[in-house]
Amino acid sequence: MDAKIEGRGLSKTYISARTGDQVEALRDISFRIMPNEFVSIVGPSGCGKSTLLSLVAGFASPTTGEVLADGVAITGPDPRRGVMFQEYALFPWRTVLGNVEFGPLARGAGVEARRALAQRYIEMVGLAGFEGRYPHELSGGMRQRCALARLLANEPEVWLMDEPLAAVDLQTRNILQDELLRLWGDAGDPASRRAVMFVTHGIDEAVYLSDRVIVLGRRPGQIKDVVAINLPRPRRAVRNTAAAGKLIDHIWSLIRDEAAQAIVEETS
Amino acid sequence: MTDAQRRWLPVPVLATVLVLWELAVRQSGQFMLYPYPSGVLAAAVRTIGDGSLLAATSGSLYRVLLGFVIGGMVGVPLGVLMGSLQSVNRAMSPVIDSLRSIAPIAWIPMAMLWLGIRGKAALFIVAYAAFFPFVVNTIQAVRLVDRNLVNAARALGAGRALLARAVILPSSLPVILTGARISLAFAWGAIIAAELAMGIKVSAGGSAAVGLGQLMVSTLYIRRDVNGLVLYMIVVGVISLLIDVAMRRLQRHLTPWR
Repeated sequence: MDAKIEGRGLSKTYISARTGDQVEALRDISFRIMPNEFVSIVGPSGCGKSTLLSLVAGFASPTTGEVLADGVAITGPDPRRGVMFQEYALFPWRTVLGNVEFGPLARGAGVEARRALAQRYIEMVGLAGFEGRYPHELSGGMRQRCALARLLANEPEVWLMDEPLAAVDLQTRNILQDELLRLWGDAGDPASRRAVMFVTHGIDEAVYLSDRVIVLGRRPGQIKDVVAINLPRPRRAVRNTAAAGKLIDHIWSLIRDEAAQAIVEETS
Repeated sequence: MTDAQRRWLPVPVLATVLVLWELAVRQSGQFMLYPYPSGVLAAAVRTIGDGSLLAATSGSLYRVLLGFVIGGMVGVPLGVLMGSLQSVNRAMSPVIDSLRSIAPIAWIPMAMLWLGIRGKAALFIVAYAAFFPFVVNTIQAVRLVDRNLVNAARALGAGRALLARAVILPSSLPVILTGARISLAFAWGAIIAAELAMGIKVSAGGSAAVGLGQLMVSTLYIRRDVNGLVLYMIVVGVISLLIDVAMRRLQRHLTPWR
């Protein structure tokens, strides 16, 4: 089977705006994400995992190497690859409905069509009744649901998610993880699932959600290991099992030293 | 003390001040030199009655609004260019910054020389005063547009036109409107100064006053009516206040998500 997303020998070097120095964010990264596969990227602070996602989104281009979608080089953002941002990135001047229908609007859908589409996904994420609210009137969890509905309303083939649950509290995060799995089709037909690239610093979250976890090291960001998560789906039944715990411990052992180093560097 | 009582607390103080003021001027007998409350009230009745106050106020306001619009029509597009294109900013900012440090009223003699005193010069001063807050705030507004929101819109399939209309414009609107509020306040301050300076000549030529500033000058030199002067000062202040309230309302109405 052909990969949905493929990175070939990616590296990214940029000039730091603060110091003017050259910073090597990523070095020689190669990976593949299959069409129905949920892949997480984990790693300590400064491993370049968000940079990697922005290359796949088409917001930035790699210094060397190339990113392919369906075998074609990515040159810019594309509505077939939906993005969910860490800080939601909802349009503050648009209501929930206005945010969710933005994708269909951008792709030229008429008023009726995009309203209907937006309404369907608003209901799907449990935001029915909040269509007229502005983002600042919503809780963190509701904003994240809105961002998810906005992504889904464009019916993208690839979901690119940059620490989407980092800004919500722990209970909300657990609930949203289950919602995300449900919407992705964790319990359903594997063929209905989308390709997901999920950036997170939560190892337990990565293990719970993913088919595979790509572990990045830092300075420069490079692949340390790719861990297959061979836990049965639906995952709800295996959330706190010993098998999941072992995988979490294994990944943690790969990045523990560097994560500790990152804390020292960031506080000094 | 109840809230209702507390609300009316300034009234007796104000009344006392007005009564003492009136009595003091009457005691001095210097009615040509010192204004007094009942005289101001009489001046209000007279100038409202003969239409001169309304004519002068609307004359000044008309030029303020026209100058404000001109300042915005030049300032906002220039600000957009300077905020989004580094090269334009580099080229233009020394010129803008040096012009900005010259107070609008310092241009009055030059403007009178070039444009005459019948209103064109005052309009120039007002447009000049309104222009800079527009430019400075628009540059800021464009720079403050959140990169993530631009990326989000592009990833959802937005082209250039939709990006400009649905992301860049609403994102910069609050800061531009703040600039507009400052511009209008500056413009109102500048028109009074400009009309005061130009009014001297208009009145000397014996022609009718066309703005509040000119009316003040003729009231000072021709009518020598100190009560009228105080009345116009009050009108200038009330209009400043109304402009600010109106602009804040407009801002809330146009940017309800703030």
